[in-house]
Parts: sequence; structure tokens; C-alpha cells
Amino acid sequence: MSTADDGLASRIRAFGRQATRSGWTRERFVLLGLVALVLIGFGPSFQVFLFTEFLIIALFALGFNLLYGYTGMLSFGHALFFAGGSYGLAIVIRNLQPSVADAIGSGPAPLATFLLGGVVGIALVLVIAVPVGWLSVRLAEIYFALITLAFGMLGYSLIIQDPGGLTNGTDGLVILLQTAEIGGVEVSLGDRRTYYFVTLAVVLVSMYALRRIVSSHFGTICRAVRESPDRASALGVNVTYHQWVTFLVSALFVGIAGVLMAGFASVASPSHSHWTQSAIPVIATVIGGATFFSGPIVGAFVFLYARWGISRFPALEARWELVFGVIIVFVVLFFKVGAAGGLIMLHAWLREVREVYDQEGTAAAAVFIRESIAEKAGLIRDRILSPVLTGSAKGGGDR
Amino acid sequence: MDPLPALIGVSDFVIGLSLGSRLFLIAVGLSLIFGVLGVLNFAHGALYMIGAYAALTVTNHAIDNFWVAVIVGALVVGLVGVLIEIGTIRPLYDRLEAELDQLIVTFGFVLIIHEVVRTIWGSQPYDVDNPAILDFSVSIGGNTFGAYRLVIIGAGFVVMVGLWLFITKTYFGALVRGTSSDREMASMLGLDVPRLYTMVFFLGSALAGLGGALSAPLQSTSPALGEQVIIDAFIVVVIGGLGSMIGAFVGAMLVGLMQAIGPQFIAAGHIAIPFLAMIVVLIARPEGLFGGFGE
Repeated sequence: MSTADDGLASRIRAFGRQATRSGWTRERFVLLGLVALVLIGFGPSFQVFLFTEFLIIALFALGFNLLYGYTGMLSFGHALFFAGGSYGLAIVIRNLQPSVADAIGSGPAPLATFLLGGVVGIALVLVIAVPVGWLSVRLAEIYFALITLAFGMLGYSLIIQDPGGLTNGTDGLVILLQTAEIGGVEVSLGDRRTYYFVTLAVVLVSMYALRRIVSSHFGTICRAVRESPDRASALGVNVTYHQWVTFLVSALFVGIAGVLMAGFASVASPSHSHWTQSAIPVIATVIGGATFFSGPIVGAFVFLYARWGISRFPALEARWELVFGVIIVFVVLFFKVGAAGGLIMLHAWLREVREVYDQEGTAAAAVFIRESIAEKAGLIRDRILSPVLTGSAKGGGDR
Repeated sequence: MDPLPALIGVSDFVIGLSLGSRLFLIAVGLSLIFGVLGVLNFAHGALYMIGAYAALTVTNHAIDNFWVAVIVGALVVGLVGVLIEIGTIRPLYDRLEAELDQLIVTFGFVLIIHEVVRTIWGSQPYDVDNPAILDFSVSIGGNTFGAYRLVIIGAGFVVMVGLWLFITKTYFGALVRGTSSDREMASMLGLDVPRLYTMVFFLGSALAGLGGALSAPLQSTSPALGEQVIIDAFIVVVIGGLGSMIGAFVGAMLVGLMQAIGPQFIAAGHIAIPFLAMIVVLIARPEGLFGGFGE
């Protein structure tokens, strides 16, 4: 027992020594990140709650951004797929739990029902996305945004008015996650910490899958389509078909986020299908930076934590929309790389500072910092202040 | 249209027309701005909402004259529109993805205006009384209607005809039509296109404000108003044809009638009908029933 501990401790020490000597490699960074993510699961329960929501919204925004940032198609109707996942899970849990218990015994039934609900939710999302995507990708730009908005609101109207008797109208479907018992071990998905780890696992796997998708040939074609559909078509890409498949993949991941959300909120709510829900990944992605893979993640983090931070100040409470509105306008006008791009630029700048410091010492580094800040300030003055002050930026009509 | 009057009562028809007129007042400015500038203004519903709030503030706190309030509402919203256009939309015309960027910027203003309105007026709904002079009922074919409902129908027609005359018969209208069909050519002929754009944006926004102010007595005004009406406005302009004025009118009347008659045909699911219509039009005829502006 103690030898194993010693071995582990010495290995950790060796790891630390190597890390400080040869810098942070990618693997070490990932490992540290994973440790941090696991530790968060044991933090204060409100923080666990908030972080779970952040993970779900991050996946929602990542799925959305496969279509927007990578393929150039702005959807204002992804709440349809988010709600699709939620309702799929909720309908299965409410209606099928007894049947599942009959089939496999009451111990593991809650867990099995959750899994079945997740699969059904994702299948439901795909069944909806196949025709919706097929019809929507025929349109481009604003028309695509409008038709996805219309499909999303069509789904919202059907959920609200409930002609099929499945969705329980404006109240939504409340679900109770019961405790499962497998081989004497109790697993309660209703427990915040357990649900956090489930969400963490699902979201990390999904993020890894998305990461692989965007760096594959498929992702390269997406970017080609974004840059110029005509040229992509000339190179032999079936643009409409590719957009359709991208739409399906995007909807799939949004559906997974929707499934997780229903379990997290204990309800499949019609508000999750309203167009204002579709706007959330738009906000997160624009703030975070649509051109970076990590953009939607950073944006979702800013979205949830800025909202939480704002709510700590009574004077600012419920003013978060104003803050995000201003940030969105600012980001689109002046800083399209978003927060993720900002972080990358900051990192590059800090490296430069470090290099100057290593080679020429403190004084030179201070000069470098002062000069580059002055340069940035000049840029801001030229690009932001003077057009606003003179009121006549680059004219629209004369080119 | 023949079998319709048999199926629907006069009452539904009049209510449909008044809903349609209100929708037209919401949508026509959106369509005008898109037709000339190519900007889909997501904040249009929010501007409409400012019009309603401005009108009720004037009648409650300044002068108790509804018509003055309507004019003030239109002007205030027009000016807000000008600020938005000059400050945030004009710098984006030259971008590669100008349309999507402009859509997102105007969406940012949806959030901003929503919050500012809540800060100034609070979250509670307001009601505005009918103007005293119109506070009576009219009987048509055995049904009674508030006179103000009929005035709204009239206002829809007046705005439609006025705008049509303005666009087709005046010099400014000719400039607008010319710029709409060929911006480069208009610019080369010496026209100050950015200024014309700002003026059109003023006009479109003022129409939103006018609609909001005129509709104030027919609806309860709360911060949720903007996000409801923008969806209605999108439906109307898509069905009629983005950028088409006549399309906005016909689309608005069609949607108004759908909303009035729909519940009788499909009790559960009738609010889905306009969205279904919007999808069908986008797929079958993306340019809408009446493509092109001012035709």
C-alpha cells in the first residue's frame, strides 16, 4: 500500500520537475486541465451547478459553430434541436421507466431509462434535422437564418399548443431522476455532483469528436464552403450535400446538449425551443470568436460567469442583456476574433515580453511593454474613436 | 376570395384586417430598409416597442394628446435608428459577410434596447386609452367594433398609399429606387449614398415608431413586446417578399387574416400556421410573393 503511494508521489514529483524544467507541453496541460475539471466536481455545490450549465451551453454553442464559424451558415433555429433532445429524454423517462424496470429489473432501471432517453432524444433530433436541414441548406445567408428561425418557431408553436398530446404545453415536462442501484452501488443522477461528472464525460467526448471532425477532411471542406461556395463547387464538392451533412452533425451535438439540459434542469421546457434560446449560442459564439474552435467554449464561459458576476451586484442585477448587447456590437465592429482570439493574442504578446526579458533584461522589457501598449492604443484611437467622432467612417456607397 | 366570406364572418374579417394593418405598420419599415440597404434589421421590433413607450410617456407625462404622442414616437424612434445606422451599421457595408454581421449587430441592439426599456419603464405592462375622440363603437353587419380598430385599418391604408406615392412620384423616391437597384451607379452619378442610406434608415425606423405608437391602445406594452413583434414582422416580410412594399402590405393582411381565422379551423396548432406559410414561401419562392422593391 505504502509503496504504491510512494511510487505515485515520486512520479508526481518527477512530473513536476520535468514540467518546470522543460515547459508545459500539450499533454501536461491537458492532464492538468483534467485534474482541475475533476476537482471542480468536489467544489461548492453552487459552483458545480454553474459549471455543469457552462459545459452544456458550451457544447450547444460548439455544435452551432460547426455550422456558423466553420461553414458560414448562421442558424437562428438551433433551439429546435436543443429542445428536441430535451423532450426526447423527458418523454422516455416519463412514459417508459416502468417498462424498462419490467425488462431489466428495478435496480438499474433509472440509469437505463436515462440512457435510452438520451438515445431516443438524439434519434428524434436527427429525424427532425434530416428534412429541416435538407430544406434549409437550399437557402443562403439571411434567407438561411430566416428559414431556420421559422422552423425553430414552428417547433415552438407545436410544443406550446401540443396537438399530439406529448409535450404538456406551456408547463413542459417535469422529470425526476431516480436513484439507480447496480450491484449494491447507488447511483443518483439527480445528485448535482454525479450529474456533473456525467455531463463532463459526455461533453469532453463530444468536444473531442467535434475537434476531430473540424480537423479532418470534412472540416477542411466546411471551411472551403465558407470561404467560397462557388470555388468549392468548382473543385468538385457537392456544396448543398455537404452543408446538409454539416447541418445534421451540428444538430446531433446540439441534441446531446439538449438531452443533458433536460436532466440538469429536471424539465423539458418550451422556453428551450423559443428563438431567444437559439440566440444563446449566437451570443456565446460571437463573444468568444467564431473562427476559433475554442471560441464558443470561451464565449459560453463568459456568458454564464459574466451573468453570474453581474447578478452579484444588486445595482446591475438583470442588466446582463445590456452588457452582452454592448459586447456583441463591439466585437462585431472592432474585434471579430472575439475573446478566444484576444486570449491567443495576449499569450503571443506575453511570450514576446518574455523573450525580450530573457535577452535584454528588465529595463528593455519595460520599454517593450510601454511601446506595444502605446501602439495598441494608437490603433484603438485610429480605428474606433476617430470614426465615431467624425461620424463618417468609411462611406458605404463609394466603393 | 369567393368562398371565404361564406366561411368566415364579417367580424373575423374586420379583426383580421385590423391585425393585418398593425402587422403592416410593423413590417413596412423593415422591408423598406432591407430593400434599399440590404440590412435585415433585427432590432426593428425593439424600435417598434420604443415607439409605443414614447407615445405612452408623452400622453401620461407631457401633453395629453394622442396624435402629438404618435408623431413624437415616430420621430424619436427615427433618431434612434439614425444613431444605430451611423454608429454601427455603416462601418460594415464593405465587409465580405456584411449581411450576417449587420444582422448580429442589430441583434445586439435587441438586447440593449430591451434592457434600456426595462430600466426606464420597468417590467410591468402599460395600457394606453383610446384617444377620447375615438372612444365609441361602430356597428357593421350586426357586429360592433371599437372605432379605434377601424382607424388602425385606415392608418394601414394611408401609410401604404402615402409611402407608395412618396417612392414612385417624388424626386427622393426616385433616388431611393435608383440606389436600391444599383448602388455603384447611383454613387458614380454623384449621389451621396451613405447619406441616402441614413435617411432611408430614418424613414424605416420612424415607420416602426409610428406603428408602435399607433398600436399602443390595442396592446399592452411591456418589454416582451419587441421580441414578439419582430417574429411577426419577419413572417410578413418573408411572405410578401423582402424589400417589397406591396408585398409587406399583402403579406400583413394575409397573416392578419390567418391569425383571425386560423383558430376556427385548427384549434390546436393554429399559431404554427404563419410559420408554416413562411417556410413554404421561403422554399418555393424565396423572393416572396412580390419580389423587388417599389414595383
